[in-house]
Amino acid sequence: MNRSYPDKVLLVAFLWALLLAPCPLMAMESEDCLMCHGDADMVSGSLVIEPRTFDTTAHAILGCVVCHDAIGDDHPGGSTKTSRATCLDCHDSLGHEYQMTTHAAYASCGDCHNPHEARGMKEMAGYDMNTKCVQCHESQMMVEIHKEWLPQADLHIAKLPCITCHTGSQRYEIVLNIVAKENDRIFSRYELPDYQTLKEVSDGRDILSLIDTSGDDFISIKELRHFNLNPEYKELRLEGTLVPSDVSHQLSTLDNRYDCTFCHVSGPQSLQTSFLAIPKQDGGYRRVAVEQGAVLDAVYGTPDFYMIGTTRSASMNIIGLLIISGGLVMPVGHGLLRFLTRKNRQH
Amino acid sequence: MAEHTKKVYLQPIPVRIWHWLNALGIVTLAVSGAQIRFPEYITLLGSYKSAIYLHNTAGFVVALSFTLWFFYYVFIARSMANIYVPKAEDLKTGLLRQAKFYFLTYFLGWENPHHPTPKNKFNPMQKSAYLAIMFVLMPLVSLTGIFLTNVEPLRGVIVMMGGLKILMSVHFLLACCLIAFLPTHVYLTTLGRTPMEHIKTMWTGWEDEIDVAEEDEGRVALH
Ligand code: HEC
Ligand code: HEC
Ligand code: HEC
Ligand code: HEC
Ligand code: HEC
Ligand code: HEC
Ligand code: HEM
Repeated sequence: MNRSYPDKVLLVAFLWALLLAPCPLMAMESEDCLMCHGDADMVSGSLVIEPRTFDTTAHAILGCVVCHDAIGDDHPGGSTKTSRATCLDCHDSLGHEYQMTTHAAYASCGDCHNPHEARGMKEMAGYDMNTKCVQCHESQMMVEIHKEWLPQADLHIAKLPCITCHTGSQRYEIVLNIVAKENDRIFSRYELPDYQTLKEVSDGRDILSLIDTSGDDFISIKELRHFNLNPEYKELRLEGTLVPSDVSHQLSTLDNRYDCTFCHVSGPQSLQTSFLAIPKQDGGYRRVAVEQGAVLDAVYGTPDFYMIGTTRSASMNIIGLLIISGGLVMPVGHGLLRFLTRKNRQH
Repeated sequence: MAEHTKKVYLQPIPVRIWHWLNALGIVTLAVSGAQIRFPEYITLLGSYKSAIYLHNTAGFVVALSFTLWFFYYVFIARSMANIYVPKAEDLKTGLLRQAKFYFLTYFLGWENPHHPTPKNKFNPMQKSAYLAIMFVLMPLVSLTGIFLTNVEPLRGVIVMMGGLKILMSVHFLLACCLIAFLPTHVYLTTLGRTPMEHIKTMWTGWEDEIDVAEEDEGRVALH
């Protein structure tokens, strides 16, 4: 969690104030609101709030009335419009960071976030973060824009969350996702499968058990190798992506993102660290730690995740060096004998 | 030139153009490839991006010149099989004879048992080595390179081949083989009567030939 300290104080103070104040509105619980708003027969369109989703979001602990504190007694009748809290009331520093950017003129919090489906960054797979952006910035168009300076723009746009580059975060980390064949065709594309699909593959067991065979909530390179080589899971692959480590709403680009070696260089500790994102029933994800150096494993750690300059494997380098040294045997060995026997060739 | 030497036109223009384009291309690919793989140690070519663009361009040039080479030998000279594919006798006795020369009789000062003519340019060892380089290494490096520049559209095929890392490792190890070939190759070309003899031939096309008896009806100019 990267909420700043003052933000937390603000939140806690806010919640206590609500709890302690003899507030009649608290009488109405979330369940009460959801009796109507969770039922598509009672309300319609954007007024429907999927209770199962809401209950699992970060905002569930607040309850409806914290944000909708002024609600008419005769709701839904009457003429009083229900109040809506603004995000800035609670997400002070993140909100202000955003308000300072030029992008604030183009999109407000609500354009990217549905307050009833709010999820933290750590609960996302990676690429799904882009669903927000592509509403306004169409993917193909983005490939065109970025192609002007970015080699392999199609690959970058397809595989990276926009906010990995458009962020104030100075660090990033690797998230691995299970992807599944989209259809039976041989050259089928691979997509993020939903919870149900993976649950079927794992025969109803915990999805994590597909990979974490030892059940210790930790993925070792051995387990990855086992998963990748298991013919039973031939339709499943592991894809990797980079996500920012810190939450930031500084969407305009940092200069160092022009420099490819910001990401394409081996060494930063962040690349040793990776997580596996496991889909949860509610549509979110949870992250499970993966053994250090998994993405650097020569072939079977993460066969589909390779970043040039970054995830090169040391053993391949050694084999390569041996091959190249082999090329020097002739010039050096033969050349030496040639030098020593030069008199024989003076005709 | 002595009276009895004559010149053989050994390396026609398309072969020479291909060869030097190719040599320049491979060296460029090796250097830029090294920077792409080891960016924190090698920064010879400036920014990472320029190394990538250079690598892609050089790869393209090499693939193009390879095509030129292939078409020339197959469709214009029609001598590909004859020049590059070792014959049964090459394998049975030729290889051994040539190896004996390189590793023994050369040091004793004997003559090279093979005399290049336009129709039989390479000795059996050259044939085998060039065959491996030109029909296995070069096509595979180019092909894996083409895949690596189109990962997104070709993802399905790449997965079928075992994944991006396999593809990358194949590309890298084959490239190392090509790089290893370079010093060996350049060294062997200096084993002529003078160190620069063969290299000059690759530049001008003409080679001095002494033995008149072994001549065939190729394009020969008497001096
Ligand atoms: C008895 C069923 C029912 C309950 C309980 C209920 N609502 Fe509603 N609500 C409705 C209906 C029906 C509408 C649509 C009213 C309209 O279109 O004029 C609505 C509209 C709304 C709106 C949009 C209109 C406005 O007033 O701004 C909000 C916000 C809202 N409800 C919040 C809540 C909250 C918060 C609760 C719980 C504290 C709640 N509702 C409980 C039925 C209900
Ligand atoms: C974190 C604060 C927050 C919580 C908690 C919250 N809401 Fe909201 N809600 C909002 C905001 C902000 C809006 C206005 C969204 C907009 O205009 O796009 C809103 C809008 C609505 C609307 C109107 C949607 C529309 O299209 O006008 C309804 C209905 C609603 N909320 C019901 C609920 C119910 C029921 C709950 C509890 C299950 C709840 N809200 C919990 C912040 C919250
Ligand atoms: C009443 C205070 C309040 C309001 C208003 C509010 N939030 Fe929140 N928000 C919270 C709390 C509390 C959390 C949970 C924080 C935690 O888990 O540390 C939270 C969490 C979140 C998260 C998930 C982050 C995480 O750490 O899991 C998102 C996204 C979010 N809010 C977005 C919004 C948006 C967008 C709005 C405006 C529509 C908004 N919030 C309005 C209190 C609020
Ligand atoms: C241009 C789109 C966009 C806008 C506008 C936007 N956000 Fe976000 N926000 C994101 C993305 C992308 C994430 C990361 C993925 C996620 O958690 O949904 C995020 C994450 C968050 C989080 C979760 C942080 C965490 O701890 O994981 C909070 C809280 C949040 N935003 C609040 C806000 C507030 C408040 C505003 C308005 C001032 C706002 N956002 C405006 C795109 C946006
Ligand atoms: C509600 C629509 C909307 C959404 C959602 C949205 N944007 Fe934008 N964005 C715009 C508009 C409008 C502009 C200005 C015109 C342009 O440059 O295309 C813009 C401009 C930008 C710019 C260039 C200007 C600047 O601020 O430096 C960047 C970068 C950007 N958006 C990134 C994002 C990212 C990343 C997301 C997702 C987290 C996102 N946008 C989501 C509407 C949106
Ligand atoms: C590899 C890092 C990277 C990724 C991933 C990325 N961008 Fe960018 N983007 C940049 C950089 C750097 C610029 C600045 C380019 C410039 O100014 O010419 C930029 C520029 C932009 C612009 C402004 C273009 C203009 O006209 O000035 C928009 C809009 C934008 N990006 C949106 C997005 C969206 C949406 C996504 C996700 C689909 C995304 N970007 C993914 C690095 C990235
Ligand atoms: C700077 C480096 C190079 C030099 C100086 C050089 C030199 C020569 C010379 C002198 C020949 C003449 C034939 C012989 O005696 O073998 C030759 C032929 C040949 N070289 Fe190179 N070469 C270089 C790089 C390369 C590279 C990088 C490749 C391939 C990857 C290559 C592939 C070949 C082949 C296949 C032939 C036979 C050409 C034919 O069809 O006639 N060379 N080279």
